[in-house]
Amino acid sequence: MTVLRAEALSVALRQGGAEIPVLNRIDLALAPGRVLGLVGESGAGKSMIGRTVAQLLPPHFAVSGGKLEFAGRDLVSMPPRARRALLGREIAFIPQEPLTALNPVRTIGSQFAEHFARLGEGDHRARTVAALEAVHLPDPAGLLARYPHQLSGGMCQRVLIAMAFASRPKLVVADEPTTALDVTIQARIMELMQEMRARDGTAVLFITHDLRLAAQVCDDIAVLYAGSVVEQGPAAAVLGGPRHPYTRCLQLAIPAMTGPRRALLALPEQMPGLRAMTTLRGCRFAPRCPLAAEQCRAAPPPLGTEDHRAACFRAELTPTIAPPEETLATHIQPGNPVLDVAGLGKRFRTGSLFRPGHMDAVSEASLAIASGEFVAVVGESGSGKSTLGRLLVGLERPTAGRILLAGRDVTAGTEADRRHRVRNVQMVFQDPQSALNPRRRVAAIMTQAMEAVGAPAAERARRAAELLAEMGLAPETGARSPAQLSGGQRQRVNIARALCTVPPLLVADEIVSGLDVSVQAQLLNLLRRLRAELDFALLFISHDLAVVRHVCDRVLVMHRGRIVEHGPTEQVFAAPRHEYTRTLLDSMPKDFPMA
Amino acid sequence: MQLLATLGRRLLVVLPILFVVSALLFTALRVLPVDPAAMSMPPTATRDEIEAARRAMGLDQPLPQQYAIWLGHVVHGDFGRSIHLRRDVVELVRQTLPATIELALCAMLVAAVLGLAGGLLLFALRDNPAEPVAETGTTLMMSVPEFLWALLFIFVFGVALQAMPFTGRLDPGMIRPDITGFLLLDALLAGRLDILRSAAAHMVLPAFALGIAFAPPIMRVLRSSLLDVYHEDYIHQARLRGLSETRILLRHALKNAILPTLTLMGVQFGFLFGGSLLVEVIYSYPGLGNLMVDAVRNADLPIIQAVGLTYCVVVLVINSVVDGLYLTLNPRLRAR
Amino acid sequence: MIRRSLRSGRVIAGGLIVLAVLACALAAPWLAPHDPDEQNLLTTLLPASWQAGGDPAYWLGTDSLGRDVLSRLLFGARVAMSVALIAAFGAMIVGAALAYLAGYVGGWLDWLVGRAVDVWMSFPPVILSLILMTGLGTGLRNVILAIVLVDWTRFCRVLRSEVIVVARRDYVAAARLVGFSHWRTVSREIVPATIPLVVTLLTLEMGIAVVVEAILSFVGLGVRSDQIAWGQMIADGRDAIYQAPWNLLAPVLAIFFTVAGFNLLGDGLRRSLDVRMTEGRE
Repeated sequence: MTVLRAEALSVALRQGGAEIPVLNRIDLALAPGRVLGLVGESGAGKSMIGRTVAQLLPPHFAVSGGKLEFAGRDLVSMPPRARRALLGREIAFIPQEPLTALNPVRTIGSQFAEHFARLGEGDHRARTVAALEAVHLPDPAGLLARYPHQLSGGMCQRVLIAMAFASRPKLVVADEPTTALDVTIQARIMELMQEMRARDGTAVLFITHDLRLAAQVCDDIAVLYAGSVVEQGPAAAVLGGPRHPYTRCLQLAIPAMTGPRRALLALPEQMPGLRAMTTLRGCRFAPRCPLAAEQCRAAPPPLGTEDHRAACFRAELTPTIAPPEETLATHIQPGNPVLDVAGLGKRFRTGSLFRPGHMDAVSEASLAIASGEFVAVVGESGSGKSTLGRLLVGLERPTAGRILLAGRDVTAGTEADRRHRVRNVQMVFQDPQSALNPRRRVAAIMTQAMEAVGAPAAERARRAAELLAEMGLAPETGARSPAQLSGGQRQRVNIARALCTVPPLLVADEIVSGLDVSVQAQLLNLLRRLRAELDFALLFISHDLAVVRHVCDRVLVMHRGRIVEHGPTEQVFAAPRHEYTRTLLDSMPKDFPMA
Repeated sequence: MQLLATLGRRLLVVLPILFVVSALLFTALRVLPVDPAAMSMPPTATRDEIEAARRAMGLDQPLPQQYAIWLGHVVHGDFGRSIHLRRDVVELVRQTLPATIELALCAMLVAAVLGLAGGLLLFALRDNPAEPVAETGTTLMMSVPEFLWALLFIFVFGVALQAMPFTGRLDPGMIRPDITGFLLLDALLAGRLDILRSAAAHMVLPAFALGIAFAPPIMRVLRSSLLDVYHEDYIHQARLRGLSETRILLRHALKNAILPTLTLMGVQFGFLFGGSLLVEVIYSYPGLGNLMVDAVRNADLPIIQAVGLTYCVVVLVINSVVDGLYLTLNPRLRAR
Repeated sequence: MIRRSLRSGRVIAGGLIVLAVLACALAAPWLAPHDPDEQNLLTTLLPASWQAGGDPAYWLGTDSLGRDVLSRLLFGARVAMSVALIAAFGAMIVGAALAYLAGYVGGWLDWLVGRAVDVWMSFPPVILSLILMTGLGTGLRNVILAIVLVDWTRFCRVLRSEVIVVARRDYVAAARLVGFSHWRTVSREIVPATIPLVVTLLTLEMGIAVVVEAILSFVGLGVRSDQIAWGQMIADGRDAIYQAPWNLLAPVLAIFFTVAGFNLLGDGLRRSLDVRMTEGRE
């Protein structure tokens, strides 16, 4: 008995008479109580499958072929009313952004009551309390009168999980349910989902970009690339010995949490967009594939029918794909101190005139960075790690302590301090969308530091060309505007601006979060190359422990505004001394065994 | 309880504003080129007599001192006497204010009903070929200010069709019961259905002229907030729970979309309340507006000051009420 | 930006209307069939030429002093357009300057500007302009001054919140970090991002200025009585509504078309430049 079965399911975008395929002949089968992981990078089409199950496709998208059956009934041809009757009752959904998925102006209780009323079940209150208890929320009765904004992201996700499982559905579709949450909360939410699944024997369609998480959670895995399933099979088999080059490349692009630090394999360029897909005749991965041959560009390879199957003509060669033979730069000789911070604190005033309060975003932070050193600050959201970065570059004024930057005390933030900072520290912002002025050209953005001192145009153009080459961007990129670039390219421009004058210290705030693994690997490799070519120290702010381990020599762990542990990266990861560091490391999904 | 605390806090904001408003009002009117003292005297008055009148009115003192004296009186509810009408200003305002509030409330009702209905209609027309037409329609509607609506209504319904009365508040010969000053309410209280009918008939054109002018912005804001809300995750999630579209609109979308609309309506009411002045003048409606315009023409300073301040007080009161309403509807703003 | 807006039907329609009214205003002395002030007491209150009793020499009829309505309408456009252009620019300069200052500097300056806007907003605009006109006295220059003093808040309120949003973007912080001065940051990074909003508000304000001038002239507190204004024509035409309806209808339609022109233009710009703003008008 299968809960969900897709046979040659295709979805297309209809645009001006043309039909652009978005999902391409997908075959899936999900048995009761099993977890099927849909894995892939953004744009692969994994969320589209979730939306097709609900038949709530965005405008102009439609199923263009194949079948999608739920418990033996075809969802595509089913009348809307019957399909709607299934939703929330037999098919439930867990969303990506728990904080925005609950109606902000209605209480938790009233949203549950509405749900139970629709399910036709009496005594909403007792049922709701029971449902909230099942997801281990403290004081379930008190929660009924609360509004979503009064809960944390993790609590909201528990509420949504309670609602999803309240009807004991046959199928739950979870679309990146923990992406918006911190890693310690992610671990607890995944545990909870497993518990609920076991309780009700529910089948789960688990959509994620995180290979490691999928390995831990799923029974079966389907890897998607550009709208097609490229590899499918039992999770252990797929991730233990991938047969498709794309799966293998993804694995090699992820930095490891244990074992020796190895160089990352960075796939060139990016996944084809919707329009580009229509022009590709052969394997859609061929343009980026290290194994691609003539045959691959002529016709798409079939997926096959084995238990563990891959759509590749040259699957037997996949294990030969290896990471670049490079030794990672080990500890460099520490040079002169660039930054010396002691007892730094930032207190924000909160509350109102009548009920004043305060919040210590950073307290008693002390750290030193030597020239050429790469140091990481790790912590979860709200740990104060971003505030620390902003204090260092002068975007916030400290309320305690002192900052010594390249031999000068810049704590006061006077105009002279600012001029000193401009020469000695620069910042790379997290979100290039916000960090790059959409009205300016790439070349102008990269050389803004020279504009500030009134450098002649010719000199700026020369430096822009140098920077483009250094960042691995094509020369013509300089004339583009940020909107015309991909996410990875934008982040390169973002880095180039900060490195224009090669300051002794660079502060980088979450510069690879939100990027796909393959793009992340490109950027991490770029950072490593820049380190070899230029002379700068880096303060690397991140929540991702694996990335931190890959990039940095030393690590500072922040928790509730304080630095709770610091030391050489390997040492901290191998033998954490602080309780919180241990929790953090334990919450990380484990590495999969690499062949 | 929370609402009371908020209103109390709001009062702390309103009082300083009122103080500044009154000071501004006073100063603006003192740069006046005409001499209110000379105007209050018969043309035969001598220079000395005018001087004496100036002194009596306190006009010979420096400006801050004049203001302090005036404010002292105002705090005790004394706005002075009208120079032109020779009557107590507070009495004049008390007689006209209810009429204007009645008109403004009726007009706001019209604006709200038309605005909300129109907003829902515009929203229902999204992605429809008729959408651009409807939107251009609202743009054109926005181009007709309330005094042009008033004139057009008189022309069409009053003169051409002769369907509606368009002067005053009652048919000539009817004597209005004076209980609260709100005519519709008074007629009901007095049990005079004939007066109620006549008063309602006289209200239709002015209320619609004023209300229709302020409906289009409400339509647009409701439509765009609904469009925004429908992009939110919780709407999608409600669909995924299998709720019907009607239920999603009524129980999820509208509750959120009404918030920006309500804020706008608060601002709109201020504009509408001011706009009532023109409508009153055009329909010879005996309210604050007519009092104000007459006072302005006669440079009747005590009335201008009192009426100007009255307009501000009403606007500030309405704004506070809207703020309170907003607070009860938006849990995110309530103290956590 | 300019090319994109020129593809919008609203921008074209609105722009053409505004240009037509502007042309009427500039060419009034040549277009007008009569001297607008020439009285002819033998032919007072003539209806329009196509109505019974109309005179082909007076296309839209005559007013109570026998003056040609069409000629007065054309000359009235001069006052309307001067007020629209000058007052709107004035209000923009005052409001935008305060908005950029308050939004960028923040702190007590922002507080002060915010409270000033609060005080102004507690006056209904019509009432405030009437009070100002009482203080200033009638005349074209004072009408413009009064509109600037009343309507700067329309720019300030909307623009200030937009400036705050833009100033929070990381690229503004980045510009400061690479060494941009405050002046360069505002002029190169913030102002360009808000230009579409300013242009849109400016266009809509022109329509509002036309209405306010008409209102003031209508109650006799606008331009001096020897100047020709649409609001005055409406006030005069109201008495002759039965004999010569075009005395009233002509200036009413003129105001409607002019304001509609500005509104269509502003609406089209808002859409094609993708400006988000809270709506609200007089």
